[in-house]
Amino acid sequence: MKTYDAIIIGAGHNGLVSAAYLAKAGKQVLVLESRAIPGGTLVTEEFDGFMADMVQSGNLCPDIIRNLKLARFGLKPKPVSEIPAFISLLPDSDILVLESDPVKAAESIKRFSPKDAARWPDFLTFMEKATKFLESAYDTLMPRLPKVSLSEGYSLAELALDLRLAGRKNMLNIIRVIPMTAVEFLEEWFESEQLKAAVASVGIHGVTLGVMSAGTTFNLIHNWLNRGGLAHQYLGRAGQVTDALVAAAEAYGAEMRLSAEVTSIKIEDNQAAGVVLKDGEEISAQTVLSSADPKRTFLTLVGPMELSPTFVWHTQSIKMRGSVAKLHLGLKSLPDGMAADTTYTIAPALNYLERAYDAAKYGQISEKPYLEVTTSENVISIHFQYAPYKLKQGAWNDKRDTLEKLAVDTLAVHFPELQSSIVKSKLLTPADLETTYSLTEGDLNHGQIMLDQFMFMRPIPGWSNHKTPIDGLYLCGSGVHAGGGISGASGRNAAKVVSKEI
Amino acid sequence: MIQLLHTPFHERTELLCQPKNWRRWAGYLVAGSYEMSLDREYWAIRNTAALIDVSPLMKYLITGVDAALLLNRVVTRDIDKLQVGQVYYTGWCDEDGKMIDDGTLSRLDETTYRLTSAEPSLRWLTMNAVGLELEITEITDSMAALSLQGPNSSSVLNRCCDNPVDEIKYFRLMHNELDGIPISISRTGYTGDLGYEIWIDAKDALPVWDALIAAGHDFGILPVGILAMDMARVEAGLFMIESDYTSSDHAWIKAQQSSPFELGLGWTVNLDKPGYFVGRPALAREQREGSTWKLMGLEVEWDGLEALFKDVGLPPQILSMAIRASLPVRSGKKQIGYVSTATWSPLLKKYIALAHLQKPYFEPGTNLRMEVTVQHHRQYAPARVVTLPFYEPEWKKR
Repeated sequence: MKTYDAIIIGAGHNGLVSAAYLAKAGKQVLVLESRAIPGGTLVTEEFDGFMADMVQSGNLCPDIIRNLKLARFGLKPKPVSEIPAFISLLPDSDILVLESDPVKAAESIKRFSPKDAARWPDFLTFMEKATKFLESAYDTLMPRLPKVSLSEGYSLAELALDLRLAGRKNMLNIIRVIPMTAVEFLEEWFESEQLKAAVASVGIHGVTLGVMSAGTTFNLIHNWLNRGGLAHQYLGRAGQVTDALVAAAEAYGAEMRLSAEVTSIKIEDNQAAGVVLKDGEEISAQTVLSSADPKRTFLTLVGPMELSPTFVWHTQSIKMRGSVAKLHLGLKSLPDGMAADTTYTIAPALNYLERAYDAAKYGQISEKPYLEVTTSENVISIHFQYAPYKLKQGAWNDKRDTLEKLAVDTLAVHFPELQSSIVKSKLLTPADLETTYSLTEGDLNHGQIMLDQFMFMRPIPGWSNHKTPIDGLYLCGSGVHAGGGISGASGRNAAKVVSKEI
Repeated sequence: MIQLLHTPFHERTELLCQPKNWRRWAGYLVAGSYEMSLDREYWAIRNTAALIDVSPLMKYLITGVDAALLLNRVVTRDIDKLQVGQVYYTGWCDEDGKMIDDGTLSRLDETTYRLTSAEPSLRWLTMNAVGLELEITEITDSMAALSLQGPNSSSVLNRCCDNPVDEIKYFRLMHNELDGIPISISRTGYTGDLGYEIWIDAKDALPVWDALIAAGHDFGILPVGILAMDMARVEAGLFMIESDYTSSDHAWIKAQQSSPFELGLGWTVNLDKPGYFVGRPALAREQREGSTWKLMGLEVEWDGLEALFKDVGLPPQILSMAIRASLPVRSGKKQIGYVSTATWSPLLKKYIALAHLQKPYFEPGTNLRMEVTVQHHRQYAPARVVTLPFYEPEWKKR
């Protein structure tokens, strides 16, 4: 039987990034994916003849694209001039168009506030510094506080230096804004409600928090970094990004098996020994990387009996709480006024967003939801917030029609022709996201992006360095530091840690 | 207002307790002693039969197909070897291999176990039961417990129970009936003598007490409080949580914690059982590397003690009860340990103590010195390290 240096559980983007890095470093790597297609949440899938980026779309860290030479495997970032606009749909057919070109964006802002338009370039500069800092943080292994080893201390000092290089004033400002609510942060910058709300929506995107929740500024910076700005900046369709990663990993020598669901991780004397597949097949390896979320990894694949009670308790306490639903509409054609490859947000006012979140707090679906809409030639993909995984009343399967109607009606206000052009639809409730995409509680981020679950506290305090209490078992997915959303950073960091150890 | 609870026997013990020296035990009131002096109660344990209300023990019923998995994970002993009808004494540890608590674990049937503890343990048990198919029920309030200790205890039970108890081996249990009341009897105790613990539904507590007192009349039965039991348990070399060791849950600093090896419970740490259990990595390390502390017996040398008191014109003055106090132990001028409980042993006619000693001073036969207070002055009396227990009658296990 063939032996592997490392087995990677899950062919999501992080699993594939880990695999490609390790294979490139000369390791024998096997990637096991439970579904019949690779990609995890970064997939383009068919529904009734239409193709949609089913869960997330995304960008990869520039250094990953470079290091893995992904351009050779078909991945070509668009030039800045082609980055699509981020458009806020407002009442009475009004729109705020935030082009990636700051001058054009300022023009659109001017209609709402000349003062805000003047501040826009400075805001972009600040966001660039803040995202630069976060990028450095995501490239730094977090120490196991309170004990910091020499090497960890060194990289932390480097991170502090990066922060310092942003300038003394900026340094303080970045630290100051991280715990702020998106509302507080944006009110310091702007006066226009429409602009504040449009930007704030990116601060709540993907998390079960409201614009008035602490730390949503951090999430804004986090999402801004991953997207490369406000709009989703396409490297291509989700499936194309995945295809490039698969091609790269395989070209470097990694093997991948699809429809190979890992049901447990084998452990002998606290050392990872391999994995067991659903059909009972066992594959041995002294190193296992799991890109499954930490709850699933520890409570299901490892099992609580192998772990200390405190660790189990901390793992149980990780907040997942997904509240995103995805609705894909297959159309005859895009309605009038809607452009392809564009990001629209329905976030007309800060209070609107906060009220949408209020529903989630009480286990209800937002009656007036925050929507982020991405488009292709004939498909509209709606990211719907908030659709809490744990409903106060009823089961998710009974709410499908309600949710679909809410989403379509909310969007149709701005595109009256929408209703009549819908041919097919595909809805993914948080429950579907859990079953189909192995996202515990439907949480896209494998653990909420919150202040008590970030940096050295992600996934849990003391275990943000990809290692686990089981020797030879590592986390490489979104649930660990640098993860959340699509970037590949945690997969890259995990591969770096693992290649030093094996 | 916080009110201490009454045990199911309170109606009886309240009238019997002459000195009203109620002691707090896990939130309950129990009699310190029933008589003004401890003498008769102590001698009842050693010579006849002592009836002790031990209802405040925390009690948990763990039942389900995964019960053994949970217990194997929590306690240090190998539960797969515990047979139905058998009882284990065991400690359990935190993740650093430090003692949280200790108690007895009885296997009542294939999938049902009863665990006793000194401290509330429901949260710890529940925390360790993630993903397991079982039920944990706290039965501290609903189950009364009596300890019947002393060489006549089997005769008392044989007189009032439907089935003779002679067949119960040491650390085994049996189901029995007494005047139509179902009870469970385990051959366990906290005195190091022949003895039994009787487990009773709380509602049946008083008739069982009455029946035992009646049946014990001819065998010299006496209600006995926890002060006399405290003397007996030191003779038996049995330590007590919060007196002789600090639960790691309550320790402020690491130095206050103890491992099972340090408490002489190495024999209960089954590192040969398979799989993870809480504290295993740390315990394996300590077993490999050896412990720096050990709980041993200390016997004060009478001549040396007498000489210290003679200097001030007194015969030796020793409290005729167990002293739960920390007393320094020295080798030469250097403190190398401490006593956590000391007592006069009326049976052995010796001043004895449970002592925590540092390596290498815990070897039996080592000559050390233990603090005694002589006419308000701190002095050190010569003492010798001995193995525990101090006293073990041949009928304890027979």
